[in-house]
Amino acid sequence: MDQILQHVINAMVLGSTYALLGIGLTIIFGIMRVVNFAHGELYTLGAYTAYGMVTLINLDFFSSILVAALIGMLIGALIEYVFLRRKDLKNIDEVMLIMIGIMIIMQNLELMIWGGVAKIIPTPFSQDPISMGAIAISPTRVFVFCISAVLLVIFYLGIERTRFGLAIRATFQDQDAARIVGVNVKRIYTVTFALGSAMAAVAGALLAPMFVATPLMGDLASLKAFAIVILGGLGSLGGAALGGFLLAFIEEFGASYISSAYRDAFGFLVIIVVMLFRPQGLFAAKERVG
Amino acid sequence: MNWKLFAIFVAILGLFPFLWSDPYVLSVMGSAGIMIIAAISLNLLLGYTGQLSLGHAAFFGIGAYTSALMSLGFDIDIGFGMSWQVDAKPVWMAFATAILVTAFFGWLVGKLAFKVRGAYFVVITISFAQVMRMISLNWTDLTEGPMGMISIPPLNLWVPGEGLINLTSKAAIYWLVLAVGVIAYLLVAMLVNSRQGRAMIALRENETLATSVGIPVTYFLSMAAIISAAIAGAAGGLYAHTVRIIDPDVFLFIYTVTMVIMVVAGGKGTLGGPIIGGLIFGLMPELLRGVVQPEVQWVIYGITMIIILLFLPRGLVPAIYDFIAWLRSPVAISQRKTGHSLAKEAN
Amino acid sequence: MAISKRYLASLLVGTLAATPVWAADPIKIGVSQPLTGAVAASGNYVTNGARIAAAEINEKGGLLGREVELIIEDNKSNPREAVNAAEKLILSDKVPVIMGAWSSTYTLATMPKLEEYGVPMVVETSSSSKITKAGNPWIFRIAPTSAMEAQAFAKKLDNFDPPIKKVDFLSVNNDWGLGASQEFEKMFKANGIEIGRKETVSPDTVDLSAQLSALKGTGSDTLIMTSGVEQLTLGIRQAADQRLSQRIVTTGGSFPEPLLESPGPKGYTSSHLLFFSPWTPESSVYPDIAGAFVDAWAEAGYSFPGLSEGFRGYDGIMTIAAAIENAGSTEPDAIREALWDVQVKGVNGDISFFKDGPEGKESGQNEPNVYVVQLKDGEVSAQ
Repeated sequence: MDQILQHVINAMVLGSTYALLGIGLTIIFGIMRVVNFAHGELYTLGAYTAYGMVTLINLDFFSSILVAALIGMLIGALIEYVFLRRKDLKNIDEVMLIMIGIMIIMQNLELMIWGGVAKIIPTPFSQDPISMGAIAISPTRVFVFCISAVLLVIFYLGIERTRFGLAIRATFQDQDAARIVGVNVKRIYTVTFALGSAMAAVAGALLAPMFVATPLMGDLASLKAFAIVILGGLGSLGGAALGGFLLAFIEEFGASYISSAYRDAFGFLVIIVVMLFRPQGLFAAKERVG
Repeated sequence: MNWKLFAIFVAILGLFPFLWSDPYVLSVMGSAGIMIIAAISLNLLLGYTGQLSLGHAAFFGIGAYTSALMSLGFDIDIGFGMSWQVDAKPVWMAFATAILVTAFFGWLVGKLAFKVRGAYFVVITISFAQVMRMISLNWTDLTEGPMGMISIPPLNLWVPGEGLINLTSKAAIYWLVLAVGVIAYLLVAMLVNSRQGRAMIALRENETLATSVGIPVTYFLSMAAIISAAIAGAAGGLYAHTVRIIDPDVFLFIYTVTMVIMVVAGGKGTLGGPIIGGLIFGLMPELLRGVVQPEVQWVIYGITMIIILLFLPRGLVPAIYDFIAWLRSPVAISQRKTGHSLAKEAN
Repeated sequence: MAISKRYLASLLVGTLAATPVWAADPIKIGVSQPLTGAVAASGNYVTNGARIAAAEINEKGGLLGREVELIIEDNKSNPREAVNAAEKLILSDKVPVIMGAWSSTYTLATMPKLEEYGVPMVVETSSSSKITKAGNPWIFRIAPTSAMEAQAFAKKLDNFDPPIKKVDFLSVNNDWGLGASQEFEKMFKANGIEIGRKETVSPDTVDLSAQLSALKGTGSDTLIMTSGVEQLTLGIRQAADQRLSQRIVTTGGSFPEPLLESPGPKGYTSSHLLFFSPWTPESSVYPDIAGAFVDAWAEAGYSFPGLSEGFRGYDGIMTIAAAIENAGSTEPDAIREALWDVQVKGVNGDISFFKDGPEGKESGQNEPNVYVVQLKDGEVSAQ
């Protein structure tokens, strides 16, 4: 029983960051229909930014996360403005290939700058785990969960309660209709890409201290993000959040009780199974948002 | 397609080992050739039928592993105390089996393409390759996992006067790859120029319209997928029997990306595209080896691909054709003849 | 990377300034290592060790009066690339001897080429028994097999307090990890120690919490971990997170350097089997050689913990140099013959080869020394 509870705690922490990653991709994919292969690279960028801030200029950990988010936003906006504006986004294949090109460039730049050796991000928390009976959790993980939860709530409020959020939701539902009522769709695109990228960057900055930062970590992150989007169903932000937790649970329990070697494969298997049997995702129909 | 040009090109390639017999150069050409064959196969699916299949490394890998397993023989435990044992088969039979098995997976993917469209299809095909990688990594009983399969026997050829010789010399491998490459090219060329081919292109351009005029879209898509996978499987088999060691990394996304860059940069949906793209991106790593770090090379490839996608979206081969056509066009000729542009005159 | 380029520049200047102009062509030695990819850290360390050896040889007048030149090829942590690297070295650069290829998988991939072209290779790291049992007479390994490591560790069992009574295993699921757990299991059983649970992990996994949860509460007092630097670090940290009660002993010669700067919880200790301990050079068989190597490494500006693997490159090149010197020739065949008779004093200890493998086609195998160190609160001491 304790074992199960431990797994639940682990899954909740992991799931909260997966939710951030997944929502980031959902808005990009949902609004712009861009198969964003570079999403994982923004995740990696977030991790390395946090690493750089903490080790190179001795910035405190909390501010580093903020900086990671800002950089993610900037790079995301830059990518959208420079590369995606020119293309009619209806050419899914060309846009997708451009994103692959960006992924290659970002990944190898990271390799050039930081080298291939994995980096550990020092955190201000003690390494002593907090015990509650037979369950143990490190302070770092508690912090990660709290921040993720707070960000998810802020995002929810932003989407539901602000005018801007309204514009985003409107574009999500029906671009042309949104354009008719005066939403500046071009600007929404830029904001969406920036916001989605920022969320990926924050997810990276939060997860990296729990593990390590490597230039190749983005590959897996991109694919897991897609698994989450597919799990949650395309049109649903709440679904993506739940999808993030669900994937974490599947991974955690699958690795413990089925096979630890296939841990990362569960995400892919999920994609294949869901696509075959319930392509609209597990939650909500296409049109619902939030 | 221009048969004369093709014949000349093949002849030059065939004579190449006599002009330049350095075994290292030949081995580089051979490796590039295998990737070109894989690119030709991807072009059929990505370029001609417009299916965004990004798991092509899966077909390559399945071909490689199947051929290796059949030629080495295997003995695995399938539970319930039973085992499945297969003795080592003659190499060409293993190679043929690999093509058939991969074709079967191609058929599966073709079926899937209809249930699942667009971006979702892309994600599924990538996942497929990743799952194959995980399986080959963890089912060590069958595949030896990360340790890889070694000592794979080479392909052989019966030569009059010499008997059966193993194709292990660099020149022999080069010609083998060239032969398979020519067969693959011709297969795709004939398919594309036939009725079936035109149907596939119709499918790519506008599926709904194609269906509405009675083209059995499912049938053609399946055919394209099967043939595409079969050729990729052949490339994988060639790889297994020439490099003679394979490991789960053959399924890595980076190999699919390499094939994609070759096809896209060369020109998807053209016959010459994968060849030009394959020559450029297959030989560049060797030319740049030692000159710039691999990471820098990849940044260059990424930038090249993006530039081509933004400014020459149909690829290099169509751009070259366009350029040649422009050179030949009456406007351009008369501009050169009169020495100034007609546009200036019009103003 | 930047540091090594600087080092190479200073090496060039130093060589030009301090030594006479070389009379004849340089002697080329091929090096095949993973400089990029999953195990790049280790590959770079080994290569840097090799560079130090080459510099030292050249400073002392070179080999047979000629300069030693390392031709370094990146095998990109991939067996196919390892084959490419070997072919380029042999066919294009025409090296008469190679050192490589780090991982057992890459070495095994390279071996058929060595036989095809008749070029000997000194294996500096790979530990799979397959390498010397394959019947390839062109292979000479200075690194220990996992079996040797286990036997060497058997002699150190008494250094552990409380004594080891029951062990669990956590290994990377390749040749190396699985082979190591097999050999160590045999050794433990022979010493009356009970075997608990065995878990495996994929080489690129970063989250080992599933495996570690399964290892909690098994009643064992020790957990044997075999993997590379990254996974050892992650495993130890996550084990501490989950409050695993077992003491951790790592094998394979890699050291979790990141834990030096970001240590685990206070008072938490782990033990590590190394083939060279730069923290305790006085425990080496030849402390002056080890000391000189450590100094040269520091002077070149390489990171300190890299010494635990960098020495392999150094010992490897020194072995090759001794063979070339004894053979008096740079023909691959002559070098191979001479390798059988080398007796080198390396950083790890004595290096010489005995016959290993099928009759008539034996490979050369060395019997190296093993050191055990303890890591606590970011400090290392001998165990």
